[in-house]
Amino acid sequence: MRHLNADALSALARREPEAVAYFREHLGTSCDTCEQFLATHSGPDVLDGQVDALLLGMGPVAKQDAPLDEVGLARVRRGLRQGRPDTRRWGLIAGAIAASVLAVVLVPRLRAPTPDTDTDTEWNGVKGPSGNIALELAVVARAADGGLRRLDSESPVEDADVLLLRYHATEAGTALLFQQRAGQGPELLGRFPLEAGTHDLEGPQGLAGVSLEGESGPVTLWLVGATGGQEPTPEAVRDVLVGGSSAWEQSRLAVTRFDVSVGSGQNPR
Amino acid sequence: MGSSEGLTEWVLRASRGEASAYSELYRRSRPMVARLVAGFAPLDPDEVEDVIQETFVRAFRALPRLKEVGAFEAWLLSIARNRARTRLERKSSTRRLEDDVADPEPDTVPHIPEALQLERDIEVVRRLIAELPEGEEKRTVQLFYIEGELSAREIAEKLGVGKSAVTMRLERFRSRIKRELLRRVLAGRWE
Ligand SMILES: [Zn+2]
Repeated sequence: MRHLNADALSALARREPEAVAYFREHLGTSCDTCEQFLATHSGPDVLDGQVDALLLGMGPVAKQDAPLDEVGLARVRRGLRQGRPDTRRWGLIAGAIAASVLAVVLVPRLRAPTPDTDTDTEWNGVKGPSGNIALELAVVARAADGGLRRLDSESPVEDADVLLLRYHATEAGTALLFQQRAGQGPELLGRFPLEAGTHDLEGPQGLAGVSLEGESGPVTLWLVGATGGQEPTPEAVRDVLVGGSSAWEQSRLAVTRFDVSVGSGQNPR
Repeated sequence: MGSSEGLTEWVLRASRGEASAYSELYRRSRPMVARLVAGFAPLDPDEVEDVIQETFVRAFRALPRLKEVGAFEAWLLSIARNRARTRLERKSSTRRLEDDVADPEPDTVPHIPEALQLERDIEVVRRLIAELPEGEEKRTVQLFYIEGELSAREIAEKLGVGKSAVTMRLERFRSRIKRELLRRVLAGRWE
């Protein structure tokens, strides 16, 4: 008995009458051999997509009107600009990082969250303007061997490092995280909920880290906070960032930045 | 297919280079792509996001060459399935890094006689689900395709089985649907 194989599939794709006639009959009843082949080979044409559209169309996902996933779209845009779509040059990583370890490293440098003593410089980054929310940022690098070290702004880092972020916010809100390379515009990495007080930057999938894989030279991280109900679009925030400090003052956003310089040498300890 | 009617206009506008049309296509079709990739339980959430991104990057790059705009959704989902499978096979080391499943060429995607027999196709799927013997495979298929809320990962947890077992059940069922759809295509839709 003849079953589907690569030759038969291409004959079907060419609509060869003999193959069409034979398989029209043969596929009329369940056949493990042919089903196994169909499961592991794509085609003919976009039949796979038709099958999936049909099956997924039975569930609720087909009927929903989804909001735009800005972070995902930003990743796609970034991918389109890069030469190859499947290289993950940098981006957010999440999940497998122990929050408690991060907290231990940062605690000695954290000050008490009292807004009226806002003048000390223990924290790195640019302070938020006198808007509705003030935001500060501290950064820890996790090395490839798992070692953690606290960074000052403009610290040298390695491309194997992952940057972990901790913030202090005067009230709850939302933050957008951008990364910017020298000579390029800021690119959206993610959107995060902010809670009042001092916390690790955490998304729905757990603690967020920024991978520097494939980077070299100066890289800037921007964490931009807004109170609930005033959440700006990523485009609006990008305009503000590009507009410089006068634009920050006019916006009601809390803009913090952190600069690192990515090299490939030994980590300074 | 189901939601593709509203897409066609945006596909046309995107192929003319309108940036906002790409956003709209992404907004409308991401849920389906994400749902498809969520059927591959061994992929972790980061890998799922990577596959979704790679799918749209490939599709958007090739979109201006797509001749049959009505086939956009099926073409996109074909790419997504290829990407997910490639990622899964690389993860389990059954595919070498340099190997790649080829995506359907956008300029050779044929016309799809849309919605013509959609109701009948849905009936076929319902019948095939109903014919499954009561048991784990049927439950898995109902949870994933009909109730459509849980990912394959979550279904594995709920049913207390391994992640790849859930994906294998879904794929087994899907291959039956694919056989049936192929037969129906051969029996008339190409004529
Ligand atoms: Zn057979």
